[in-house]
Amino acid sequence: MGEVAVGRTPATVAAQPVVVVIGVGNALRHDDAAGLEVVRRLRPHADPTEIAVLEQEGEPLALLDMWEGAEAVVLVDAIHSGAAPGTIQRVDASAESIPVQMRSSSSTHAVGVGEAIELARALQRLPKRVVVYGVEGGCFDAGSGLSEEVRAVIAALAEAVLREARELAG
Amino acid sequence: MSDPGERGMSDPEEDGVRTRVIRTDYLARVEGEGAMYVRLDGREVVEVKLRIYEPPRFFEALLRGRAFTEAPDITARICGICPVAYQMSAVRAMEDACGVAIDAGPLRDLRRLIYCGEWIESHSLHVYMLHAPDFLGYAGAVEMARDHREIVEQGLQMKKAGNAVMALVGGREVHPINVRVGGFYRAPARAELRTLVDPLERAREIALATVRWAATLPFPDVEVAPELLALAEPGAYPIDLGRIVSDGGLDIAAAEFDEHVVEEHVEHSNALHARLRERGSYLVGPLARYALSSGALRPLADDAAREAGLGPVCRNPFQSIVVRAVELVQACDEALAIIDAYEEPDAPAVEVTPRRAVGHGATEAPRGLLYHRYEIDEDGTILDARIVPPTSQNQLAIEEDLRAVVERSLDLPDEQLSLRCEQTIRNHDPCISCATHFLQLTVDRG
Repeated sequence: MGEVAVGRTPATVAAQPVVVVIGVGNALRHDDAAGLEVVRRLRPHADPTEIAVLEQEGEPLALLDMWEGAEAVVLVDAIHSGAAPGTIQRVDASAESIPVQMRSSSSTHAVGVGEAIELARALQRLPKRVVVYGVEGGCFDAGSGLSEEVRAVIAALAEAVLREARELAG
Repeated sequence: MSDPGERGMSDPEEDGVRTRVIRTDYLARVEGEGAMYVRLDGREVVEVKLRIYEPPRFFEALLRGRAFTEAPDITARICGICPVAYQMSAVRAMEDACGVAIDAGPLRDLRRLIYCGEWIESHSLHVYMLHAPDFLGYAGAVEMARDHREIVEQGLQMKKAGNAVMALVGGREVHPINVRVGGFYRAPARAELRTLVDPLERAREIALATVRWAATLPFPDVEVAPELLALAEPGAYPIDLGRIVSDGGLDIAAAEFDEHVVEEHVEHSNALHARLRERGSYLVGPLARYALSSGALRPLADDAAREAGLGPVCRNPFQSIVVRAVELVQACDEALAIIDAYEEPDAPAVEVTPRRAVGHGATEAPRGLLYHRYEIDEDGTILDARIVPPTSQNQLAIEEDLRAVVERSLDLPDEQLSLRCEQTIRNHDPCISCATHFLQLTVDRG
């Protein structure tokens, strides 16, 4: 939510464009910042009339309000599944549940991003299309700065996410 | 989430005593993650350890050398659930160091207002998403939502009202950017605050219904023993100001916290365990606030508490769900009262000039007392920082509670005992993220 204007809720910002891209993470947990870094990288290239680029640093249930009214959402988050750091996973969660290994968000989030998606599905508050990009992190300790393996994939991932968001925007 | 590789740490036939091992390597539905270890030797509870991997020492180190004005923004990032609490303890401590007190007037009202927003958000999350599934027999909020959509939607609606307060007063709801030492960067206009009335009135209705609903849940008949400690302020339910008092007779200023609370390194945890000097464990949070200040609740919240059958003191941690619901009524009602009486301040902040000094700040995070202490130089550079989050203070009391629960529940099958242990921890709404990263639960029948 880094770019949300003072006094406006994310929902009012997110409601306009058809596609919402949300970077999820914690800037002070090393690789947990990967999702934030990716959306910051692609933001200048996204047409704000069709793609809203948001950041979510806190409690993931806020995601339900952030994607309210959108046709599609692309989420980018760091994950901790045991794969090599920098490994990217893409899951189309539009119809299928988030795999368990992607649900245990590494972060300090109360309810994980995967759980927020599944909760929204149960409440019928999920956009029609939901795509999740997960970046395997290596270090989630307190501190800032991405590890080398994660930093190396940020640019390519930003490009892939932007491409997907544009396709979803039609 | 379980890791079979770590099972079987104990030898089942060691010393000829039959041993049982129960282990849940992941403790869901607490804020953040951590680890719990219970060891039984026969029918004797030998060891109960709450292992916390990471204290907020990183942030204390990060703060050293930074400007005193940066503390609210930096510490807000310690926890995604209670950023306002960190900001409020930080600004109080810095103002204390600089000889400024914002004890009344619209600036203090705005602080209480944004803090009410955080209580509403955090308590809604805990009551509905984290705690309710334990009582209704679901693994989590997702499973519960499939059968009880209306309940979950109510929780989310109330939470959204809290978010709206934080976003409007704080500039945004996570890591609010509008809070500063001395007040705010911009004070909201009266008309802006009026936009919060509808969602808060609706939230207050939901909160009242929540108290009635929570009161019908089945509660085991248990009590926690430790000393209850919270801020207290004459005539007001404590949020942002007050003396630190306990039901054991403690009555001190925030500046005396260091003299009375000692933090100890314990082997199984990187975090420090706090205890009252020469007194032992203590509990902060809703049960403590309620026990010490239930007489200061607003009439609406007080009535709701009575109807729910709560006495002036509640020591049953399972019933903390009712107390949190009462605090939801309190926070919604107080927020509405503040908005109703709000007059825009002359200036959004008072000037705070640094001086070489030590300052202390204690406020009531949703989970309990949050203490900050800073030493600053004459130009405002932070020389030293100390942060004691509520969960570090509760750790010892949670361990004691857990020990008592295990002793009472020895005959439960392993799986149920594990679940009972998890519930015991969740009762206290530990914000492990304030202090750590992963929480795992292990029951080792020695």
